[in-house]
Amino acid sequence: MPHTPQRVARSLTRFGRPPPVKKPLHRNWRTRLPIPHVPILGREFAPCRLETHYHATLAEDTMYMTYIHEAGPRPPPRQIRLTYDPSNPYARFRANPPVGGDQLGKKPPPPDSPSNVIRLEKIVIHSFLKTAIVSRSNLLGLIMALRALTGETEKGAGKHAVKGVEVVYGKKSVGGWIRPDIPVGAKVELRGAPMYDFLAQLVEFVLPRLKDFPGILLPPPAASDHSPSAVSGVVSIGLTPTAMQFFPGIEVNLDAYPRSYGMHIHFVTNATGVGAENRARALMSGFQLPFTRR
Amino acid sequence: MSVPLARPCRRAAHLVSRSLATAAVSPSSPPPHAPHKSPKPVLYTSVILNRSPILTPSPTTFERAFYAYQQRIRRALHNPFPSEFYFKQGSLLEAHYNAEERARERVAWGPKYAREEDVSPEKRAAEQAALDQTEMQEQSDDKLVSRVHPSDAARDYHSLDRKGRRNLYLLVERPSGASSVWEFPRGETQQGELLHQAAHRDFHAQCGNHMDTWIVARKPIGVYKPPALETSPEDITFFFKAHIMAGQVRPQLPLKDFVWVTKQEIEKRVKKDYWQGVKDMLSDH
Repeated sequence: MPHTPQRVARSLTRFGRPPPVKKPLHRNWRTRLPIPHVPILGREFAPCRLETHYHATLAEDTMYMTYIHEAGPRPPPRQIRLTYDPSNPYARFRANPPVGGDQLGKKPPPPDSPSNVIRLEKIVIHSFLKTAIVSRSNLLGLIMALRALTGETEKGAGKHAVKGVEVVYGKKSVGGWIRPDIPVGAKVELRGAPMYDFLAQLVEFVLPRLKDFPGILLPPPAASDHSPSAVSGVVSIGLTPTAMQFFPGIEVNLDAYPRSYGMHIHFVTNATGVGAENRARALMSGFQLPFTRR
Repeated sequence: MSVPLARPCRRAAHLVSRSLATAAVSPSSPPPHAPHKSPKPVLYTSVILNRSPILTPSPTTFERAFYAYQQRIRRALHNPFPSEFYFKQGSLLEAHYNAEERARERVAWGPKYAREEDVSPEKRAAEQAALDQTEMQEQSDDKLVSRVHPSDAARDYHSLDRKGRRNLYLLVERPSGASSVWEFPRGETQQGELLHQAAHRDFHAQCGNHMDTWIVARKPIGVYKPPALETSPEDITFFFKAHIMAGQVRPQLPLKDFVWVTKQEIEKRVKKDYWQGVKDMLSDH
């Protein structure tokens, strides 16, 4: 939109005196802290460069690149017999998939519409630390590193859905390696502005400084289009421990960390159905993530 | 058994009827009530060459007030920052951070709300001296580049640096009869050529090879049909989106001129029905 220069007479960063309190606020029974009348929630506090780039350029381009023209509405899906007779009271509230499974890998993508233009939903970073099995205190360095990388803290700025850096626990018992319910790693989920900030750091500071990194390897042409990863719309990469020192948030006090940590990064998009991973790659390529063939 | 047989039979019947139809249309004996058949439409391809924004948009007054308010909320509700992890106790960097943080608190909450100082005046003076010293060392001659380019002030429509906050599009001036029209670079397709190949060939034939461009997809992003004239065959123009990465347009004859313009400036230059046909393909950003 055109922006006309506007003369601002008053300061925008200062506000008037708060209204006088006529009735005392309710207080939290445990902390004795006042509860405000309205839910106070931190939202975007600065314009986000990559998000602007997405709306100004990328959304349009990826829509043109991934659009599949369909003449008219789709025919209704074929009715496939269920595995067990649904009229049987025994099968009524039990799992009853169609014969031959639910064919997840063969589901076509939903029809293209303005509401499902491909977009980046979240970035998940996680790291497994083998030494944490021996002593859980070894996780502290990793947790601090992830926190410095992403800036996420639990319920930061009043956002209750933000979980910050989470500790990952073992799920099952594998002889001589892992046991259930022992802390073995850490993960962070990024959404919104922190997600774009992390992505910008990755593609502008880290990847260009990696030695012998031609780009993220694409699967060979013979790879299946129907595998669970190919239809899920997620682009995953792994970073070696040497890559961590290139993040500007880590670089400033690298000697504060006991060691470097590698990490897995998953870029989760809203693409689903056959070809979803390719569409996700098209989007991530627009954010300057390099892809290459073997 | 019947299905595989049915298809060739139907096709054969179709062929027979077609051959009969061509025989009937022969000039010797025109049918009495033949519908008026318009001549074949002429297909054109047109490239909408886009220069993406090179600057972030300037926030509006409302946006700035919103961000300022949200920054205050964030400052009030943030989790404690482990400054002792990032800065060594008593280091120069810590003094620098503390001074900056005090300044930010003053901006957010006003001078009355600033944190109480628990440092002695001597220590404060020593900190200040250290800060001044680092400031002297870190002084650089780098200056921020202005967000307004000289080509904006000069109204240089040929420059790719103008209007850095907006999407720019290439318009070319094509002579048409005695006058000329502004439109996106357009060329006619050739026999047996695919649309996206035609778009690529025509575009470089008209605008020169002195630029690095990328046509976004093989699919056209839109179509435009001018109001039909009785005498001439119908024109159909398919549009393709492209980006310019480097270089500049060098219009070849018979093109007269070119401009890099925003969506709003396109409306002023092109014909009304052309604008109605293309306006939804252009970005408001």
